Amino acid sequence: MTTTDHRRASADDPRVMLDEQVGVFEPIPPYPPRTEREAEFYSVGDGELLINIGPHHPATHGVMRVVMKLNGETIVDLDPVLGYLHRGVEKLCENADFHQTIAYMDPLEYVSSLFCEWPAVMAYEKLLDVEVPRRAEYIRVLTGELNRVSSHLLAMGFHALDLGGLTPILYSFIERDEIVEMLAAITGQRMLFNYFRIGGVNGDLNHEFMSRLGDWMSRATEQVEANVGLLSENEIFVRRNRDIGVMDPETAIKMCWTGPNLRASGVPFDIRRAHPYSVYPELDFDIPTRKEGDSLARYLLRIDEVKQSLRIIDQCLHQMPDGPVLAKLPRLLRPRPGRAFAAVEGPRGEYAIYAVSDGTDQPFRFRIHDPSFLHLQSFGRLVPGKLIADWMTVNASLDPIMGGIDK
Amino acid sequence: MDRAIRQRLEERFGDVLAGPVRQRHDETEIRIGPGDVPDVLRALYDEPTFGFQLLADLAGVDTGDSMEVVYHLWGASSPDWLRVIAVGLDRDAPRVPSIVSLWPGAEWLEREAYDMFGIIFEGNRDLRRIFMPPDYKSFPLRKDFYLPDDAARSPGAGVRAMEATHAPRNAPPGAIRRVGGQAGPR
Repeated sequence: MTTTDHRRASADDPRVMLDEQVGVFEPIPPYPPRTEREAEFYSVGDGELLINIGPHHPATHGVMRVVMKLNGETIVDLDPVLGYLHRGVEKLCENADFHQTIAYMDPLEYVSSLFCEWPAVMAYEKLLDVEVPRRAEYIRVLTGELNRVSSHLLAMGFHALDLGGLTPILYSFIERDEIVEMLAAITGQRMLFNYFRIGGVNGDLNHEFMSRLGDWMSRATEQVEANVGLLSENEIFVRRNRDIGVMDPETAIKMCWTGPNLRASGVPFDIRRAHPYSVYPELDFDIPTRKEGDSLARYLLRIDEVKQSLRIIDQCLHQMPDGPVLAKLPRLLRPRPGRAFAAVEGPRGEYAIYAVSDGTDQPFRFRIHDPSFLHLQSFGRLVPGKLIADWMTVNASLDPIMGGIDK
Repeated sequence: MDRAIRQRLEERFGDVLAGPVRQRHDETEIRIGPGDVPDVLRALYDEPTFGFQLLADLAGVDTGDSMEVVYHLWGASSPDWLRVIAVGLDRDAPRVPSIVSLWPGAEWLEREAYDMFGIIFEGNRDLRRIFMPPDYKSFPLRKDFYLPDDAARSPGAGVRAMEATHAPRNAPPGAIRRVGGQAGPR
């Protein structure tokens, strides 16, 4: 490869010239620190050691890298390094039309895809002043709550897996697989559903979905209880989680936490009640909270949420009205110039979209807000002073998904 | 739409608002200058008539003429989302005071806005790249972002007229492609 003054041929395609060297950087920066915080973190004191966890560590729930400053086995400080899964989804969406962007939403948080699609379609419906048919809203809530159950079950299984317990994940996957298969019956996909549409959903409920759902609902409560018994009564699991990663309510709000992690610290904030959307005002459910704010509380709170979700699913099935499932809209959408913000309560917290329209068929600005991003930020406050093994516990209990964090 | 919050906002912040309070669906929007951000957000957070204690989102926006920083807040005093837009940031050197002292959790949100738009948040002590590699030079979500490498051949490149017109002057001719694989203006 020839190099001319400051330009250089791309390694992928020699016809393309690059202006700057795009290099591989060292894990521990040789360059002068760029910020105050970086200078503080990378100045290693007496007896301290920097180690690198990830990006391909199995306990990092994706492709996350954490540089950890240790003293013996005690964590002094840590610096998460993101971007290994960055795909530039916001830029892609700004260059796609409104219908296409919904498909880009699915792989963000790949275990709770419907909750990534939901705020996007809600924001577009606000831009377009579209009324969503009531049956479509009920179907959205029904499928969304099923997705929440599957996501929480997975989180509980992986929580045990990260602590070395191999069995609970197998039981979690039995239930999760059943949910995923029934969602596949109406959406056509097992994981990346691409089911919600602007003004409704892609298809009505069908016989296979309803029969699978009825079958599963008849035994869901007992099955979840049985799975939970594996962990909640396990002394090792409980003692490794109790009083680890404690977050107090004031700090949790200041760190912009939302979702189960915030409620496990004792703040009863749930967007389904705080800022109601869809048909949630018509449904009867509780918002469970816990006082302790530790890893165990976050785990137990997810179990309580699964029970509430089952209640909501039951009510949806009884109250579901008849009617159309998709509003009539033109194929090419050109909303009037404007701005819309929509947020939903997902299994990890607030999923939000801020969409700006400039009158063309593409969003002018498309901002994705992801809750895991803000939960991950708090690691530096939760684990210092704990052992390196406790980091796994905290990571599993916060349940971050790197696909959404890195966008 | 919450009429009461509109009146309270106009009474309290009438002199710093850059434009009228706008309301649509379940959103209330105010626009302020970048210098007023800490004071206005502090007042919205602290004063019991507002009590907007939850920062729901922080986003940068490049309008093509100037930069904006958009804050979304939630408070128990109003059923609406409150959108505070800091308007009129200089596009060549966008600067805005940081709100990390109010919400420490805004640190990474501001890092992301810096990474994507180059907006400098004065007072954020960890303002470095978060998604892009540390030796990366451009700001990808700006409307004048020029794709210097293989990405320039993607179908998305140069779709918006604005992106093409703002390409750097030293861009090699034909580097910006249009949809369909045709080269841009030479």
